[in-house]
Amino acid sequence: MARFDTLNRAWMVWDNPAPAPEGAVLEYTRELEKFLAEIERRAFRMAQVALRDPDDALDVVQDAMLKLTRSYASRPSAEWRPLFYRILENGIRDLQRRRTVRKRVMTWLPGPAEDPDNEARDPLENVADSAPTIPERLMQAQAMQRLEASLRALPARQREAFMLRNFEGMDVAETASAMACSEGSVKTHYSRAVHALREQLGEVW
Amino acid sequence: MSEQDNEAFEMRSRALFHDSVEGLDMRIRSRLTQARSAALSAARGRRPWFLDWKLWTPAAGVTAAAILGVSLWIGTPVGHHSATMADALANFEDLDLVASTDEGSGDAMDMLQDDIEFYDFADKAANSGPAA
Repeated sequence: MARFDTLNRAWMVWDNPAPAPEGAVLEYTRELEKFLAEIERRAFRMAQVALRDPDDALDVVQDAMLKLTRSYASRPSAEWRPLFYRILENGIRDLQRRRTVRKRVMTWLPGPAEDPDNEARDPLENVADSAPTIPERLMQAQAMQRLEASLRALPARQREAFMLRNFEGMDVAETASAMACSEGSVKTHYSRAVHALREQLGEVW
Repeated sequence: MSEQDNEAFEMRSRALFHDSVEGLDMRIRSRLTQARSAALSAARGRRPWFLDWKLWTPAAGVTAAAILGVSLWIGTPVGHHSATMADALANFEDLDLVASTDEGSGDAMDMLQDDIEFYDFADKAANSGPAA
């Protein structure tokens, strides 16, 4: 009887995968949901720091989520975070490489014609933010903008080490796993990143 | 740059980053939720490994080819082959007998011609019988 139950469950997953109500699939799906919900906003901001463009950052985060759930969902949950960030960083680098190639190609092509209607497509984008701004909040936003600019100026490995260790709060071993390098390399990258950032931002920052 | 200064810098940058995460607008939050849902749907849609057709198709193909090969090898025995050859030879001999013009066997074609003439005569006799 138990054999039939197992087989029935397997066929239920085959025939109608979405509502699988019990068993291992549901268990790791719940865990995955919790993990992704906890991590997604920070991951997005890190991708945005590296790529600047929010839509590109969203695409990269979505790809990382899909790859994690498709290929590594059955791995122990403790491995998810370094795996996720490794996938995310690979996605960021792929996109940056594509941008570089596109930029090189575009320099040889005539520039796009100005589209006068383009500005009128989304009128809200051009409306000034009329909400009152608290000076402290504004200063914080400016400080973050400067930090982001400095992070973008760092070599990719240093930026990665700094964000994973400092923003994501990973320990050295976890960061090494995410970056696919030794713990010693993580310490070196991180130390150089802190040094370079402090030099760029100055003492008053 | 002292160690304390570094720690202060790390704390400040971390606080700024977390503030910026908390300040994400609703559009971004909503799109992240959609992305998460899509990823989880993909995870739920995964089939058990033993039901994956991609895994079994090559194995099934190889097995079918092997069975066909073995059945062709075993299903056409040497005895069957020899029986077929014997039948073919026997038919050939029958044809040879019919067509033969040897003295002992008579003229088979003449015999067939005689029979046709006899049946023609019998047919005519039957039609004119009562009148005669």
